[in-house]
Amino acid sequence: MEKIIVEHLSKSFGQSGVLQDVSFSVRDGEFLSILGPSGCGKTTILRILIGLERADSGKICKDGVDITHAPAAQRGMGIVFQNYALFENMSVLKNVTYALLNSAATKEQYTRASAVEKAEEMLAVVGLAEHAGKKPRQLSGGQQQRVAIARTLALQPDVILFDEPMSALDVDTRLSLRGELKDLQKKFGTTMIYITHDQEEAFAMSDRIMVMDAGVIHQLDTPQHIIDHPADEYVKRFVIKNINTKINSLIQFARSSGETAEEQA
Amino acid sequence: MTERTLIEKKWTPSSALKILLCLFWLVAIVLPLLRMLSTMASVDVAAVMSTRKFSRALTQSLTVSLTATVISVSLAGLLSWAVARTNIRHKTIFSTLLTVPMLIPSISHGMGLIILLGTNGWLSKLLGLSGGVYGFWGIVIGSVMYSFPVAYLMLYDVLRYEDGTPYEAAEVMGLSPRRKFFAITLPYLRKPLISVIFATFTLIITDYGVPLMVGGKYMTLPVMMYQDVIGMLDFGKGSVIGMILLVPALIACILDMANRDKGNAAFVGKPYGIKPNRRRDCLALAVCLIVSLLVLVLIGSFAVLGFVKKYPIDMTVSLKNITQAVNMGAIKYLGNSLIIALVVSFLGTALALVNAYMTARNKTPLSYLLHLMSITSLAIPGLVLGLSYVMFFKSTLIYGTFAILFLVNSMHFFSSPYLMAYNTFGKINENLEDVGATMGIRRLKVIRDVLLPQSTGTILEMMSYFFVNCMMTISAVSFLANVGNKPVALMITQFEGQMQLECAAFVSLLILLVNVLMKAVVFAVKKIAG
Repeated sequence: MEKIIVEHLSKSFGQSGVLQDVSFSVRDGEFLSILGPSGCGKTTILRILIGLERADSGKICKDGVDITHAPAAQRGMGIVFQNYALFENMSVLKNVTYALLNSAATKEQYTRASAVEKAEEMLAVVGLAEHAGKKPRQLSGGQQQRVAIARTLALQPDVILFDEPMSALDVDTRLSLRGELKDLQKKFGTTMIYITHDQEEAFAMSDRIMVMDAGVIHQLDTPQHIIDHPADEYVKRFVIKNINTKINSLIQFARSSGETAEEQA
Repeated sequence: MTERTLIEKKWTPSSALKILLCLFWLVAIVLPLLRMLSTMASVDVAAVMSTRKFSRALTQSLTVSLTATVISVSLAGLLSWAVARTNIRHKTIFSTLLTVPMLIPSISHGMGLIILLGTNGWLSKLLGLSGGVYGFWGIVIGSVMYSFPVAYLMLYDVLRYEDGTPYEAAEVMGLSPRRKFFAITLPYLRKPLISVIFATFTLIITDYGVPLMVGGKYMTLPVMMYQDVIGMLDFGKGSVIGMILLVPALIACILDMANRDKGNAAFVGKPYGIKPNRRRDCLALAVCLIVSLLVLVLIGSFAVLGFVKKYPIDMTVSLKNITQAVNMGAIKYLGNSLIIALVVSFLGTALALVNAYMTARNKTPLSYLLHLMSITSLAIPGLVLGLSYVMFFKSTLIYGTFAILFLVNSMHFFSSPYLMAYNTFGKINENLEDVGATMGIRRLKVIRDVLLPQSTGTILEMMSYFFVNCMMTISAVSFLANVGNKPVALMITQFEGQMQLECAAFVSLLILLVNVLMKAVVFAVKKIAG
């Protein structure tokens, strides 16, 4: 079933057109990555989807309801930013309870005590139970991003948008966070739309990938199908070639490590 | 674009607020300035500027300001190097002592000079000097004492935040200290240094406190403007001088703007590493000790002078000056000053925060206009602003009331606190309001609960800046205050006119004490807030 349907979305800033007649849909419970280089319009799509930016034209439906002009808070979506956007003056626990007690969607449901209980539960889910009393600046980048994810999940949105959430993190943290994010998606059944410029990340995590450049969609398909049948030269060059280069360098790295190990033995 | 989105985008409450703020700036700065400049239409500008008195004042202003700027910036450079680039101990104490002169009015520095180096000055007698401090060198020394702390703070910040990585690279390449200085330090310092030089020059050339006290017959433009307006009510001539005083301030403002953006973009990879060097540290310690001692001697001179019977004839300890100052209304005027300083520190800070929010975190084309207007006060000397206000607000209800002093001081000292807030807001996570919007938390609530608590330190510094400057200003207010709302700092000019230096010293001490207390409170609150 289609969770979100986007039709003929266009947007320009001043003279430059950022999105040109973009149409696509996202399935319920799907993990969709929007993949493209910087400036291709992927973040603009995300901001229009959640209601932080208005499109010049086009229509967005969620669960069959037109939400094109709905305020951000009434769209039932959450967002995780690259820079975490945590409330630095509050503890990790307070970051989550503050969201629960003040968010339009949840403030009627929670008392202070039940909010703390829920927040502790969500922090445990992302493995940060023992850091609840710390301030965000006392945590590592990966831990801060987990707090942001816990804060978003606590509000129980049925769609979560991720704006390059791992681009500021080191490789190890990225790899472990990838697995955790997929586990969370399975556990909560949330639809996730994930913005990235990293081909490897998109191919490792996504049910489907939407390849974009210069405000237009080049291909929207499963990772396997994109590799087997790239839609055009751009997809071949930007996606396949990069993936192959990374695979080759990994193979070379593995070989050289193996040789060194053998030599040492 | 659909009609609906068009309407939504153009008329948000923040756009309305920005327009309102722009209108406020129009009334509070632009129109008063235009009113002053328009006065010149009825004045024979060429005739005013071609008088011998005027051309001499202009030449003397330039000579004295250039000399004082060179000495002030050199001294500040030496001191900032001594504190930022050596391993001397007690850096906080030296930094605090070196900036104490910023807490008293410029006129008090002139007075301090007379006490120390005047005809009957203690140092004059001790060193057997003739006491020829009046005139050119008096103004130079007084101006240096009053302006070097500002230049020191600016240069110290520049040196403290310099990236140490290029020096490490130079070390690896085996460059000599001399080459490092010319290849790394100097190019890095060039732009900030130009800013510091112009800011210091502007501060000196627009000040009338020091030359009024020690200038003697050596007339400068601000003193001439002060005397023309206060003494002879010659607003036309005052406006011509005001226009000239606007020029260096305007250049300083433009340079500051150009350099500030680049400064913010600088990336500090690694702090500068200070190597051990005993000889260098001893030299730096000596420099800091000598200048700190001079500052202490200056402050000490007020303290002693305020409590002696009649300087230098009868040096017995007495409370006569305090009684006399109190009888002449010192307590009442101190009350006035406290009212002005407190109200302005709240109102000015609130206004600066709203402006900075609209320019740093709510960027639209209107934000740039608002930003430009918010920093214009950097380019308007206090005397010029005061004269503009006299002319523009003369027949309004606020003229002669406390309200006009609140307004003129808020505007006069607006730029620096505004820029503090602008920089702090710019550094706080840009997506906070977006997170709030997606959660359905009102923007004002996010500002109250998240943005402002993260800016507590800056807000306290802004309030303290307004407060301290309101306590010691004698420029804009000198044209606008009357017996009912006169701030205590203006008693110093009054006592100077009556040759009652002891009372003036007591008032200076009073202002210093209040300002030190304010700084201590801010320090304590910041410490408690963590």
